[in-house]
Amino acid sequence: MARWGMVIDLQKCVGCYSCVIACKQEHFLPPDIFWNRIVISETGKYPMVTKQMYPVLCNHCQEAACVKACPSGATTRREDGIVTINYDECVGCRYCLIACPYQQRTFYADGKKEYFPGQGLTELEIIGRKLYPLQPGTVMKCNFCQERVDEGIQQGLKPGVDREATPACVIACPAKARYFGDLDDPDSEVSKLIKEKKGFQLHPEYGTDPSVYYITR
Amino acid sequence: MKPYEWMVKYTPQTEWIERRGILMWLAEVSGGLGGGLYLVSLYLNSLWGMFIGWLIILLLKGGFHIAYLGKPLRFWRIILKPQTSWIARGLIFVVLFIGFGAIQLAFTYWLPGTAWEVVFKILAGIMAFGVIIYTGFVMNYVNGIPLWNTALLPVLFVICGVLDGFGLVMAIALGGGNVDIMVAEAGSRLLLIASALLIVIYLWSTTYMGPTGKYTVMELIRGNIAPVFWVGVALCGIIIPIVISVSSYFAGEASSPLLITGIICDMIGAFSLKYCILKAGIYSPLIPSTAY
Repeated sequence: MARWGMVIDLQKCVGCYSCVIACKQEHFLPPDIFWNRIVISETGKYPMVTKQMYPVLCNHCQEAACVKACPSGATTRREDGIVTINYDECVGCRYCLIACPYQQRTFYADGKKEYFPGQGLTELEIIGRKLYPLQPGTVMKCNFCQERVDEGIQQGLKPGVDREATPACVIACPAKARYFGDLDDPDSEVSKLIKEKKGFQLHPEYGTDPSVYYITR
Repeated sequence: MKPYEWMVKYTPQTEWIERRGILMWLAEVSGGLGGGLYLVSLYLNSLWGMFIGWLIILLLKGGFHIAYLGKPLRFWRIILKPQTSWIARGLIFVVLFIGFGAIQLAFTYWLPGTAWEVVFKILAGIMAFGVIIYTGFVMNYVNGIPLWNTALLPVLFVICGVLDGFGLVMAIALGGGNVDIMVAEAGSRLLLIASALLIVIYLWSTTYMGPTGKYTVMELIRGNIAPVFWVGVALCGIIIPIVISVSSYFAGEASSPLLITGIICDMIGAFSLKYCILKAGIYSPLIPSTAY
């Protein structure tokens, strides 16, 4: 069985937020909710200042703290490594949100919030709520575009290679800084990149074994 | 914290202390108070104490937890999955405590001295202990927050819970309840010293849990949370009750106004301690090393 993972090349990322927007469009995310984010920091002192941009999303950890924390069993890890939430089972206790050391989960509190407050829902928001019914009062996070991956595989496509089977943030990235593929396949592009460019995970000391790797060279 | 500082700098958790998160704080405090009062009342054989402790767990702890949930009507899903996490096991403790406690109270009131009363006292006592300690395990599991990720937390919650139980039982004694106030004072005196020592060890050990641990402790003692920590936890929760307790030890018995002051201070301390621990739940920045 595959273990889906992502590699993000920090040298290529230009911080354009395309991934953030693509993710919001793909899942019709409500206002103030992001499954993809870009964390930007500046270090050093003038004239030796370094700007660092880290696109961050759910790490779909092999030893996911959120899965072990979820008291209702709503958060599970699929065989292919995607950590997913069953919104019908989530009780909204937010323990997973607290337990995630990467803080990649968001509580969807206000289901009535509009993108243009006081002006009603836009057509896109109305369609989105029908196509992608997110439940207020539950926790949400990146799902590695599992719908795209699953449908793509059903059609005989290869995630990470074929656009239709690849997460929206990967195909939207204009700098081609994101790669998606099978971490368990030594011949996949992601595995090769991790090996050749010494890919690293965020905070490996937590023992969560994230499926999102970063490369800098 | 500015939005662009999120997880770039040290980022405090907000879900369990801000906005609706206040309900979690109140639930945690009431769990300690109710469970502690019940255990102390069992020891001192105070029916009123047991009943009030049971009520606190039933109405306040249970109520605040249910009110906090995003989907309150689905809470039963948690009870059915004890193998999942400490929240599930904790809720089972609460539910069983409410059940066993109700039966025990009925036996103690109508059929005192029977074997069944003893059995249900033991069962409800174990569950009350579970109610106090499980929040410590819930928080101790979170390895992203150094202040919480320590085995001392469950111990601290138990000691402080029982200490607060002694405080409340003294209030019941002052209100006319049948409680030996001297025993309650002696118990609280010991636990006050133990909790003061434990809090110092707890914070001291947190400073050794990396830069985030050190930052957290500095935030507690010098940062925005410092007034609550020094006034609420240190002064009201420890120093004033210790002074009253020691003075009563030498004087023989503390006067009622002094005891009332001590009890109020102890309650302020109970609320402040949980507030500080929740508020100072700080995560390490996401970007490796650069933000430290």
